[in-house]
Amino acid sequence: MAIIELKDLHFSYTAEEEVINGMNFIIDDRSTAIIGQNGAGKTTFAKLLKGLLKPTKGEILLNGRSTKDMTVAMLAKKVGMVFQNPNDQIFKYQVLDEVMFGPLQIGMDKAAARRNAEEALESVALSGLETTNPYDLGLSVRKLVAVASILAMDTEIILFDEPTIAQDYAGKERLKEIVRKLRSQGKTVITITHDMNFVADVFERTIVFASGKKIADDDTKSVFLKKDILERAYLEQPDVMKISTELGWQESFLTIDEFVGAIKR
Amino acid sequence: MKTISLYVDKGTILNKIAPESKIWYVIAAISIPALMGIRWAGIGMIAVSAVLLLYGKVLRRTLPFLGVSGFVLLTVLIIQGMFWWGNETPLFALGPAVFYVEGLRYALGILINIINILMSFCVLILTTKPSDMMENFVRRGFSPRFGYVFISVFQIIPQMTDTMSTITDAQRSRGMETEGSLAVRIKAFIPLIVPVIMSSLINTKERALALEVRGFNSRKKKTFLNEEVKTAADRYIQIALPVLILAAAIWRITQWLA
Ligand SMILES: Nc1ncnc2c1ncn2[C@@H]1O[C@H](COP(=O)(O)OP(=O)(O)OP(=O)(O)O)[C@@H](O)[C@H]1O
Ligand SMILES: [Mg+2]
Repeated sequence: MAIIELKDLHFSYTAEEEVINGMNFIIDDRSTAIIGQNGAGKTTFAKLLKGLLKPTKGEILLNGRSTKDMTVAMLAKKVGMVFQNPNDQIFKYQVLDEVMFGPLQIGMDKAAARRNAEEALESVALSGLETTNPYDLGLSVRKLVAVASILAMDTEIILFDEPTIAQDYAGKERLKEIVRKLRSQGKTVITITHDMNFVADVFERTIVFASGKKIADDDTKSVFLKKDILERAYLEQPDVMKISTELGWQESFLTIDEFVGAIKR
Repeated sequence: MKTISLYVDKGTILNKIAPESKIWYVIAAISIPALMGIRWAGIGMIAVSAVLLLYGKVLRRTLPFLGVSGFVLLTVLIIQGMFWWGNETPLFALGPAVFYVEGLRYALGILINIINILMSFCVLILTTKPSDMMENFVRRGFSPRFGYVFISVFQIIPQMTDTMSTITDAQRSRGMETEGSLAVRIKAFIPLIVPVIMSSLINTKERALALEVRGFNSRKKKTFLNEEVKTAADRYIQIALPVLILAAAIWRITQWLA
């Protein structure tokens, strides 16, 4: 299990404006969602965690070790990140080669890379497409290829930036399944998202960012019950919770299953 | 805020005057030194552009352009300095390479011309909203296609650099090295360039579709969103600059006759 600790983390792109404004928290083995308005600093945080950006002040500790003196290549073995747009990474002519690229880069031997790649493709339900050209696939499937290409690297920490964008119902269900599975394997799963229903359905903990600061951090249900916080961050409740609130019920529900369960009682 | 356009509204007078006035400036800045045929005129124009850029608060944004062309200019200086056909008087030698006065002087002329053209264009581009410039062209009877291509070029350059840096991040995240020896850079070339090309192809297709559905190809005369504004300053500029160009031409002719 990996522990990520932020210590007085600051970052700015320009002298005028701090984008990450003094953050302190620990990410443990719970699956964690980071939410917040556009420009709140979510992607910037992800890039800091990946070592693509360096903190202007403070630091991030990975299992107790500062990432300050780790290179991007070293961090690639520990933190996998699925970028928002799959077109930013795909360059091979065959799905299998694309998925094997990361594992090979971080020093896995060919056989292991292939095994991992095939397993990863299976978990995103793309087995059978190994020899297809990724650009012949639709955007939503191409995104799953990108997801598989990170899963195959078998990192302790996996970070998703907006995974549900452009995904249909089946794609979203598959992503939820993947998050649950990674969690059960003891991996640390973090997602950045604007999709509140996705957060409600699979993430145990939710952290809210606003203007480079953490303004809430609790188990997902408690966070979504804090209406003032949500308003401040320009966020809304998940659909199911809106319904139970609208109905004026005492109890609140996060997921359809919980809600249906309560009605049946 | 992150901006991807070359133009930023700094609220200076340069942002307020009409695109046409600035286009006249570019024409004047290029043609006056060419007509007069003296080096000092070019240097003078460079100084004028520098003052304008400073005044428009965009001098710093000019530096990348100068940096990129600086490399090319350096090669011009070296090659002409060593090999120009009229070389006679050696000036100095770096090891076996001898540089000549005539070649360097000739290269200096090219240098001044290019920097002058570049900086006057920067005055126009860095202070003018692309859509205003496009409207201006279309009003003067150019095809909207021409206007579109013109502004696309200026939007695509910053957008490409942005895409390029995201792609580099994505590949480095998968453990790929992008910096270091030549061998490392060559190996990194394909994983970086393929996504750049694929995403620009995809973007181009989307742009074309977006234009199509909004009636870009319609043959009807287009209406303009903005009223054309011409301030008093614009009227003066648009009279003064052509007069100056004419004056330079007349000066040159009198030089001939004398
Ligand atoms: N390369 C950059 N240079 C300058 N400013 C930047 C850069 N990248 C992001 N920013 C600025 O930093 C702030 C935070 O951006 P960031 O991308 O982290 O937000 P975000 O929370 O991921 O937003 P979104 O939900 O829109 O993805 C924004 O104001 C953005 O304009
Ligand atoms: Mg983002």
